[in-house]
Amino acid sequence: MSSKTINLTLKVWRQNRKNPAGDLETYQANDISTDMSFLEMIDVVNEQLTEQGIEPIAFDHDCREGICGMCGAVVNGRAHGHMPETTLCQLHMRHFKDGNTIVIEPWRATAFPVVKDLVVDRGALDKIIQAGGYISVNAGGAQDGNTIPVPKENAEKAFNAAACIGCGACVAACPNASAMLFTGAKISHLALLPQGKPGAKRRALSMVRAMDELGFGNCSNEAECEAECPKGISITEIARMNREFIKAAFS
Amino acid sequence: MNWFIENISTAIGKKLLMAVTGLGFVGFIFVHLVGNLNFYFGKEVFLKYVETLHKLDPLIFVAELVLLGLAVIHVSTGTLLFFQNLRARKTRYAVNKSAGGRTIGSRTMPYTGFFILLFVILHLFQFHFIDRSQMTPYDAAVNTFGNIGFALVYIVAVILVALHIRHGFWSLFQSLGLNHEKYMPLIQTVGIIFAVAIAVGFAFVPIYIRAVI
Amino acid sequence: MTLESKIPSGPVHEKWDRHRFELKLVNPANKKKFDIIVVGTGLAGASAAATLAELGYNVKNFCIQDSPRRAHSIAAQGGINAAKNYANDGDSIWRLFYDTVKGGDFRAREANVYRLAQLSVNIIDQCVAQGVPFAREYGGLLDNRSFGGAQVSRTFYAKGQTGQQLLLGAYSALMRQVSAGKVEIFPRREMLDVVLADGRARGIVTRNLVTGELESYSAHAVVLATGGYGNVYFLSTNAMSSNVSASYRCYKKGAYFANPCFTQIHPTCIPVHGTYQSKLTLMSESLRNDGRVWVPKEAGDKRPPEQIPESERDYYLERKYPSFGNLVPRDVASRNAKDQCDQGKGVGETGLAVYLDFADAIARDGREAIAAKYGNLFEMYEKITGEDPYVTPMKIYPAVHYTMGGLWVDYNLMTTIDGLFALGESNFSDHGSNRLGASALMQGLADGYFIIPYTIGGYLAGTRLPDVDASAPQFKEAEAKIREQVDRLLSIRGKRTVMDFHRSLGKIMWDHCGIARDEQGLEKARQMIAELREEFWENVNVPGDAADFNQALENAGRVADFMEFGELMVKDALDRKESCGCHFNTAYQTEDHEALRDDENYCNVSAWEYTGPDSDPVLHTEPLTFENVELTQRSYK
Repeated sequence: MSSKTINLTLKVWRQNRKNPAGDLETYQANDISTDMSFLEMIDVVNEQLTEQGIEPIAFDHDCREGICGMCGAVVNGRAHGHMPETTLCQLHMRHFKDGNTIVIEPWRATAFPVVKDLVVDRGALDKIIQAGGYISVNAGGAQDGNTIPVPKENAEKAFNAAACIGCGACVAACPNASAMLFTGAKISHLALLPQGKPGAKRRALSMVRAMDELGFGNCSNEAECEAECPKGISITEIARMNREFIKAAFS
Repeated sequence: MNWFIENISTAIGKKLLMAVTGLGFVGFIFVHLVGNLNFYFGKEVFLKYVETLHKLDPLIFVAELVLLGLAVIHVSTGTLLFFQNLRARKTRYAVNKSAGGRTIGSRTMPYTGFFILLFVILHLFQFHFIDRSQMTPYDAAVNTFGNIGFALVYIVAVILVALHIRHGFWSLFQSLGLNHEKYMPLIQTVGIIFAVAIAVGFAFVPIYIRAVI
Repeated sequence: MTLESKIPSGPVHEKWDRHRFELKLVNPANKKKFDIIVVGTGLAGASAAATLAELGYNVKNFCIQDSPRRAHSIAAQGGINAAKNYANDGDSIWRLFYDTVKGGDFRAREANVYRLAQLSVNIIDQCVAQGVPFAREYGGLLDNRSFGGAQVSRTFYAKGQTGQQLLLGAYSALMRQVSAGKVEIFPRREMLDVVLADGRARGIVTRNLVTGELESYSAHAVVLATGGYGNVYFLSTNAMSSNVSASYRCYKKGAYFANPCFTQIHPTCIPVHGTYQSKLTLMSESLRNDGRVWVPKEAGDKRPPEQIPESERDYYLERKYPSFGNLVPRDVASRNAKDQCDQGKGVGETGLAVYLDFADAIARDGREAIAAKYGNLFEMYEKITGEDPYVTPMKIYPAVHYTMGGLWVDYNLMTTIDGLFALGESNFSDHGSNRLGASALMQGLADGYFIIPYTIGGYLAGTRLPDVDASAPQFKEAEAKIREQVDRLLSIRGKRTVMDFHRSLGKIMWDHCGIARDEQGLEKARQMIAELREEFWENVNVPGDAADFNQALENAGRVADFMEFGELMVKDALDRKESCGCHFNTAYQTEDHEALRDDENYCNVSAWEYTGPDSDPVLHTEPLTFENVELTQRSYK
């Protein structure tokens, strides 16, 4: 943890509710410790802006340990920045060099309207889940947990799909702003488990339809989502969703 | 049929349409390449091949209709996808970099597709819609590729076709849900070999004609 | 008002059954006539909202984040306890109950804890049915591991992301009810007041964090599941938006606040590295199953760890607690780490860290086996620190993690305000003065899935509730008060930022009301907080407008509440003249430096009543009786 400091130029997307046009504004970020996280760097800049009487940059963040999925911005053209399998809050400034210019933009997708600056509305992802991303059981009626054996391998595969944090980086990184990786991960998670089988058909059809209705783009197998996913979710989940959809649609 | 239209018009349905029609073209272009190889054995062998082919005539006609159908679906779905995808991101990024998922093939898919469409039309006019009593397909080839401009156009076009296949081949398996960690690397490799084979196999015809004949 | 815990009579193992029978039921056809507000969408909130909706109630569910899936329960790593005894190692409901009461250092209610242990079993079944991808054995059955402070393997887990998977399970149940039209979700809303009519909670006022508008919602009952207040320390493992405001404003409306000074300091966190730091990251305590904690034997030994020979290392937990070793409860582990650092044996640049070493485990089980168990935690550590824990021992230090204190609730989880319920971390009920590992998830889900659905029915069926509309004058009054505070915050335009004040408050709390406390320090803290609070209201700089998405304004309101609340914590710590669990007053310790309880005078719950801005809160106590677990000095030797 040997720390040094660097100076950076930030170009940050600023857009408020009164001026929906928005524009990139330039700020200096000086004496940034390389041990800081990217969001801590923005904190520091915001402190300075506040002292200068400029409104601080609005950005979503919460757990700051890479699990809540709240944070995210496109940094120099890359969702969550350039480090693999890293959320913005876990991106550390040691990966930048003194004198770098950093362009920070919000997720861009028609389905994710900008609320302010770097903050977007990702409610569409909740709506996809509402369309069927669940197993229909009420509390209280479940049988003993061990009456449903699940092969270890399937449990692990299901877990890998379920590791999605719903941050929306897949949509942001997709050249078509498609939500296939998000939707594929949820459909896969449930399709891999015996508990998910009874509702599988309905789930695949209605979640895929919801995705279309919400204005997401189509998948053209560019695999940018997989490359940017902070949880390393693979496009094999999309293939599994395709299989689930084919089974549901044509049988 | 209502259910069919409904399902096929979803995002995944459209992927399936592109995949299935694309698979048809992969098959067609493979057969086309095998046929073209006859060219290298001289005029007689080639014309014999053409003759054999035309003995299957009613079938060929059906095949042509099928191909036309595939083309209409592939092109119209592709066009729809292109515009829908543009609409899904109305504001573009000021800076946009690939994370390493995209290939040059995937990146250029709609554009290579569009040029391939133009090329196919040109190709059909130069080789298909000709008066066969006046000119054999062999002569048509020799005539066309005698022109350096056309020869270059054809070479560029098959390279674009190869690029299109580079992404299209593995992609169609992915779309059909056939992505398995054990087999996908193989599919990827076969796709690349196939794309290169198509480019080399077709591009050498004009080169051969200009160099040898 | 006297505190009525409403604990049912009879033997402890029959109480919950008896109580469920005695609770009045709401006729199924009538449930749809009741509106219930649930604030918070963590494990407790989401499970409560989903289950109440399944029963037929109309639920309005509020969260501060942009989606209910992001509540901070999601960050829990290690696991969830359940007395399934799948491991056949001698576990039972009684043992889980016993461990929890003892682990809590005898400051929790026996009846509540027993119920929690009973329900733990149902929680696992429910989560499996929902598709939570728990870790499995090769035979396909559920895998268990042992977890901080337990000598049996009763912890169910999903890699190091158990909280995430459980929350996504509850969230999916919630989304199902949203699509069924039984739950309406209100994201990006911050609850700023509870509204009472005829002395009963009948609604809330929220601020829409996007538009800045104040919105009023009425209901027949209000359920609070707004988490803990660890962020009063500024640096904690809590998410940035975790705050005390919802609970605190209920406290100001008449809900008693119980045991506010009981805060848990988690022993295994990544150490602090700079003043700009915004939060601390927890490393799951499951790491202590295989990692060995040590410091150099010599104070001031600054050699890198690989150059310190085995004979010059002090594995102090193994030395002092031979039977529990590295698995002693959290409070014991934290206090010992601090002791070592206070003796100058701390490691790293700041000297505020101890080693957690996996070298032996890797040599024994192989790197692969260790990676399978902790891979994601190791990656996270490396991402943050730039050091590879497979090669260099981890550096860890305690950090504020969980708050056992919370709104006082009775056995029905109802606060001292009728119709206002508090679940999960926001209530005080089950963990006494120290929470055992993997018990928070258990409690949140027990409260939400299996307790509130019954007890709220008992309340609604047994209470006459006249119609109250969100346009009632009580709502307007509450809105006006909030508006006044917002305007005041925005009008100061002083010199110091909100974060700066928060950092100062945190430092006071950590220095004087943290791992170890003493009267002098607490008195000093009281003074300092009062001064800081005064300065805050004269010198804070809150930029922007009220009618806008304004994060500085949100934080200003939260920090303002934290300041008042910090004083309450200090007051509570001063008042409790004993040590117990996480409340360690240096004046009260055994010869071995363990917490020394005073069961004669403090075997009770402190519940504070708000009496106004200029007068001291009034203390009420609820005596605790232990009929099933003998009151003993905890020993982990």
